Amino acid sequence: MTERELLKGNIAIAKASLIAGCECYFGYPITPQTEIGEYLSLEMQKRHLAYVCAESEIGAINMALGASAAGAKVMVSSSSCAVALMQETISYACADELPFVLVNVMRAGPGQGYIYPSQGDYNQATVGGGNGDYHTIVLSPSTVQECADLTYRAFYLSQKYRNPAIILADGLLGQMSESAVIKEYPYEEIDNSDWILNGASDRLSRNIHSLEPSQLKLNEHNVNLKRKYTLIENQEPMYEEYFCEDAEIIITAFGSMARYTKEVVNHYREKGIKLGLFRPITLYPFPYQQLRKLSYSAKLFVDIEMNLGQMLKDVQLSALSNVQTAFIGKPTGDWLKKEEITGVIDNLLKDKNANIR
Amino acid sequence: MNKNFIISGSGGQGILSIGSILANIFMLSGKFVSLCPCYGAEMRGGAVNCEINMSDREIYCVQNSKADIVVALNQTSFDKFISRVKENGTIIVNSSMAKIEKTRKDIQYIFAPLTQEAQKLGNIKITNSIALGILSKIIGNLNIDIVKEAYEKILKDKKELIQKNIEAYLVGLNYIQEGVV
Repeated sequence: MTERELLKGNIAIAKASLIAGCECYFGYPITPQTEIGEYLSLEMQKRHLAYVCAESEIGAINMALGASAAGAKVMVSSSSCAVALMQETISYACADELPFVLVNVMRAGPGQGYIYPSQGDYNQATVGGGNGDYHTIVLSPSTVQECADLTYRAFYLSQKYRNPAIILADGLLGQMSESAVIKEYPYEEIDNSDWILNGASDRLSRNIHSLEPSQLKLNEHNVNLKRKYTLIENQEPMYEEYFCEDAEIIITAFGSMARYTKEVVNHYREKGIKLGLFRPITLYPFPYQQLRKLSYSAKLFVDIEMNLGQMLKDVQLSALSNVQTAFIGKPTGDWLKKEEITGVIDNLLKDKNANIR
Repeated sequence: MNKNFIISGSGGQGILSIGSILANIFMLSGKFVSLCPCYGAEMRGGAVNCEINMSDREIYCVQNSKADIVVALNQTSFDKFISRVKENGTIIVNSSMAKIEKTRKDIQYIFAPLTQEAQKLGNIKITNSIALGILSKIIGNLNIDIVKEAYEKILKDKKELIQKNIEAYLVGLNYIQEGVV
């Protein structure tokens, strides 16, 4: 179990899900995440677990809702345009407080788009397309090792807070291989015996539903959910700082884009320019407070994404008024090259030479 | 040390297999490694390539514009990737399936009739392993036991192919004479 292996991001997620105790997988093939289902179709059968290749993505996510209500640990995986189909059920799962893990290995949109890697679903994941006051926990891996480790975290957090958790990876990370270690599941098991629908022969009956005609009760339910989200926002932000202590310029980036920008940080540090990287690992809850702290000493935030500026608004919300924000992005295709990024930053440095560096 | 390689050819030529074997060789040698496949929407017979990065430290950038060594197993990939060889880099070309033509003066060319060499060994499917052998010779200092271990890992479900592939690898390894590249 602790052997170092060369693994694709997709396979790391699939392997980790089994070790996290996933009992039911529902999905429908779509590039670039199909290896997750392919791997699990073999492995879950061996272990006598439930693997269903559903008739559609809508079918898959609703099966997840049912299996979760029955107390199973559940995972669904898909990609961008197909995750779009699932938005209604995600809202229902939040309302019903049903945990499951949803993996989105992003491809390019909007609409059908194509199979090129992209980070175009930041808004879809963190804001969501369902109705009502709800949030999903969103974890963003940037290495194959994190694909495994954050799968564990997604199972744990979704169970702990009885809420769906999304793993937001992208086509590059899903398809690329790196050496990684599939460790043991590091979290405690969450007792769900007080709410699951597992047969009422020896207890009072229960039901789980989101329909609530009583205005009073519906208000109360929303307020309770909000209390839970506030707790998550206080307890669960995760982030990485790379050369941030004394940085005057902070690059913000998530997922696989963030690992690329470390080369950019190294490039400027070698020249003595005080530049660092702030990488949110949880996109919801976004680490606003932690990034805001950096804006006391920084003069410029440069947000870099493989889209046209979605996380940018959260970066701007974190920045105090003394900090300028800039954006570098590209919607899809090849990853931004180091030279493309340094070209823009060099210009920003020239413009601001008087007060930066 | 930090080196990167592009292996290219057409679907069915075992591009990703030798890419994966090479990446495993580096991993088993204690290096950091990344392997990025690129096959877009193409199918068997279409263009396939992969990039392998090897380093002594953590790898951040897994897709680079240039590579130290490029392997091209057919004409299309030779044409496509010749511009992506670094200055003073090397390209290994399967001359059974590509014209011998040197358009750049700043790189080293190795032309070898790999498909014919594989035919001599009785199986054109091991063309890729001969290429990997030549590539290994240029990289230098790869431990043969680790190479065997990598083959055993990747071909664990096709055990009957391991011996033949290692034989092909060794043909590749010895294809270039000592000191002559």
